[in-house]
Amino acid sequence: MSHKAVKVGLTGLVLATAFGVLLYSTLGESAQYYKYVDEVMVQPDAWYGKPLQVHGYARDIRRKRDSLEWSFELHREGHVMRATYTGITPDTFLNDSEVVLQGTLTPEGFQATGMTAKCPSKYEPQIGSAAGTAVSGTK
Amino acid sequence: MASLGYYLLLAAFVVCAYAVAASVAGARRRSRPLTDSGIGAFYLVAAIMTAASSVIVYAFVSGDYSIKYVARYSDSVQPLFYKITSYWGGLDGSIMFWVFLLSVFGSTAVFVNRERHRELIPYVVAVISVVQMFFLFLMIIHNNPFETYLTENPADGEGLNPLLQNFYMVIHPPTMYTGFVGLTIPFAFGMAALITGYLDDSWLRAVRRWTMISWLFLSVGLGLGMIWAYEELGWGGYWGWDPVENAGLLPWFTATAFLHSVMVQERRGMLRVWNVTLVILTFFLTIFGTFMTRSGIVQSVHAFGEDPELARLFTIFMVTILTVSFGFVIYRLPLLRARNELDSWMSREAAFLANNWILLFSAFFILFATMFPTLSEAVTGERLTVGPPFFNRWMLPVGLTLLLLTGIGPLLAWRKSTLVNLRDQFLIPVGAALAVGGALVALGVRVWTSGICFALCGFVLGTVGQEFWRGARVRQQATGTDVFTALVGLVARNKRRYGGYIVHVGIVLMFFGFAGEGFKQDEQVLLRPGQQAQVGDFVVRLDAIRETDDGQKQMITAHTTVFRDGAEIARMFPAKWYFRKHEDQPTTEVAIRRSFAEDIYLVMPAFDLAEQSASMEIVVNPLVNWVWVGFGFLALGTLIALLPETVFAFAQARIPANAVTTSMLLLSLVLWPAALMAQGGQMVAPTDRSELQRRLESDILCTCGCQSPMGSCPMRPNCGHYDQQAARLKAFLAEGKGYDEVREAFTVEFGSQAVLAAPIDRGFNRLAWLFPYLAALTALAVVVVTARRWSSRPVAVAAGDAGLDPALSARLDDELRNLD
Repeated sequence: MSHKAVKVGLTGLVLATAFGVLLYSTLGESAQYYKYVDEVMVQPDAWYGKPLQVHGYARDIRRKRDSLEWSFELHREGHVMRATYTGITPDTFLNDSEVVLQGTLTPEGFQATGMTAKCPSKYEPQIGSAAGTAVSGTK
Repeated sequence: MASLGYYLLLAAFVVCAYAVAASVAGARRRSRPLTDSGIGAFYLVAAIMTAASSVIVYAFVSGDYSIKYVARYSDSVQPLFYKITSYWGGLDGSIMFWVFLLSVFGSTAVFVNRERHRELIPYVVAVISVVQMFFLFLMIIHNNPFETYLTENPADGEGLNPLLQNFYMVIHPPTMYTGFVGLTIPFAFGMAALITGYLDDSWLRAVRRWTMISWLFLSVGLGLGMIWAYEELGWGGYWGWDPVENAGLLPWFTATAFLHSVMVQERRGMLRVWNVTLVILTFFLTIFGTFMTRSGIVQSVHAFGEDPELARLFTIFMVTILTVSFGFVIYRLPLLRARNELDSWMSREAAFLANNWILLFSAFFILFATMFPTLSEAVTGERLTVGPPFFNRWMLPVGLTLLLLTGIGPLLAWRKSTLVNLRDQFLIPVGAALAVGGALVALGVRVWTSGICFALCGFVLGTVGQEFWRGARVRQQATGTDVFTALVGLVARNKRRYGGYIVHVGIVLMFFGFAGEGFKQDEQVLLRPGQQAQVGDFVVRLDAIRETDDGQKQMITAHTTVFRDGAEIARMFPAKWYFRKHEDQPTTEVAIRRSFAEDIYLVMPAFDLAEQSASMEIVVNPLVNWVWVGFGFLALGTLIALLPETVFAFAQARIPANAVTTSMLLLSLVLWPAALMAQGGQMVAPTDRSELQRRLESDILCTCGCQSPMGSCPMRPNCGHYDQQAARLKAFLAEGKGYDEVREAFTVEFGSQAVLAAPIDRGFNRLAWLFPYLAALTALAVVVVTARRWSSRPVAVAAGDAGLDPALSARLDDELRNLD
């Protein structure tokens, strides 16, 4: 290998390392696990306190009178999880709607800090598939 | 009707195939008649696609619900306008629309260039036809928009998604598609140049204009998408780093890079491999973006399984593009040698190089982060996601660096800047930046990212202003006219350069708007009629909630009055609409009061007619309108750069500049209504908090596990942990403690700095602040030093390196060769 190749390789390596380290450090803080309700509820205590996004279907939606406090169940394939969320919900947040919650799991249930609704959009190839974009969501 | 459409698509496919065969054979045998017949076939495809488009539009307008696509995306009550635009409302139709646009665009490009670039044209026709064949093939075997119901036809359609029944959403997709499709033209010319080996700069001249047009459409499309998100989705922002948005941004970055680096090739004959690479990458990213958003690969890998056929076809196509095009690049490397070397790192070409690397880095970073969930699942089996904060964290410094380079580039001379001309050039812009920075510090602006952004805006405006001023002065002395005429003449003489500067002004204005995000205020409250809430300087009072119906939809409207300093400034009507047949998907109609200083943005996401209450989200978005104004300038600048010579005589008059100012003034007058009325009613939370308390609340974390500062704890106003923290904070403040003492006290109470949103900027902690920046600076220094050393020593070309992606390492090699 020629002299220049070594230099190019080293520069590439330095750049890649610097980039990788920066990326790794920021990813560690920002990344959240993305799980379906049934995957989490198989062994819920393993997930307590971890940054998590759970994907499932809402039901039994209740709102405390005169407040923005929501309490509901998230279910998928026979597994159910209680969840609470305070704040404004997407338009498509209804019973049997598909939602993705961001937050943490506690023994009392899932405390959501954010909610994204899956809704059919034009990008969806087939009715009922999940390829539609989450057009509506609270940020 | 449906079978006519389907046969037209089949015919288009066959004619495309003929166009490829005839033009390639004609070019190889040097047979003019054969080539001409290929070109004729190519025009014919455009005609057939126009006919097929007319068929589907007719089906929509006449309500032919035997066609599945028509039944899915329209219904009889839809207004005519939306019936027509339902053409591109779904996947199958948008693919067809894509081919239609490509055939029209391609035919125009071929027609315009048919004499000037005769040797390239047959291959241009072949390349575009192959791309068309791919999409036609997709439609014929997989996504046929003319598919009909086998048995019973529905009596009426399902209707277009209400969220898409919006003016911006009607013009946004075609604008984006035009941008995407237009980027195929530069690719086709690039490939034609590679295939034929006519790799002088003439192919660049042919594609420069087309790239600029596509880039303009892409930029405007992105802007319209942002406006749509802002007005329709109701979360108070305009960019959420959604995969669909990112897909549009990826080719925008590489196209921007190309528009800059093309100048280096024209002026200095360098970066030739790089430019071809950028053209190929840009085209690849348009296809990849389509693949990413349509096949479902990004949303969830499980969705990938739902359309594996489409994903497979796209993958084959993309691999083919990369293999063939980079194969040709490697084959033609001997013809792509740079004619010059980089003389100095203090030169404009070096600034362009830096700008290119950053733009390319942005594209790849966004690609990586968008694909991260899919990648992490493929590698570790665990699906990990990253949200907007991650994107913002990386793109904020990257964006600011780009803004800085926007200001620096024009100040550097080609080849080499001397110290004297550096001083001459930088004096005014740096002065402007310092003045803005100083003024901000004096005014007490403490959002440092926004502050830096404002200062950089000042820097770039200083640069652009200086360029215009100096140019106009020189011209004034030469022609003896007044400054204004000289200015217009200057722009007319060098439209690309000064049009480019106007685009830069647009970019500055956008960044000015982005920086306003740092001062955004947002509250969520539940109101009953008569109650009011305060956000920033504004008080919003709910007057009533009313229900109305217009036949197409039921509308629930909140009537509100907004006050500032006790005076009524606006009545606003946020609403929720329930479209017929889409009752389960109500749309949230945002009410926005615009002004150049800030927008008041009201959303009513939920209401209760029985108990007459409405949950309201009240957002104050400072400076957001400058983003849209910036897009306007960007379009204006690009149009100036695109104007043909003959047209510009028309613009020699002074009208345009004045017209812009006047219309701006008129606009601001319209947007500043100032009715005065008294204010009354009962106040509800959020309650009064002192400036210090607010500041501390954004520095101290809430303990409920939300990992957010207290001030933005999402569990409020019902978070017990927040209440405890707030009580502690109040107690400390009551003891007369200042900012630093309170932070100390919290640290002592919790035993560590973990309770602080950011570590105290002192001693060892400084390292935590500095580390990322130090790492980046070191890496940069290493690159500059090594690159400098190589640029002064011609060495033989090296092979690729292990451990690097082959495509990346090939590009790196090419680039470094250019510097030799």
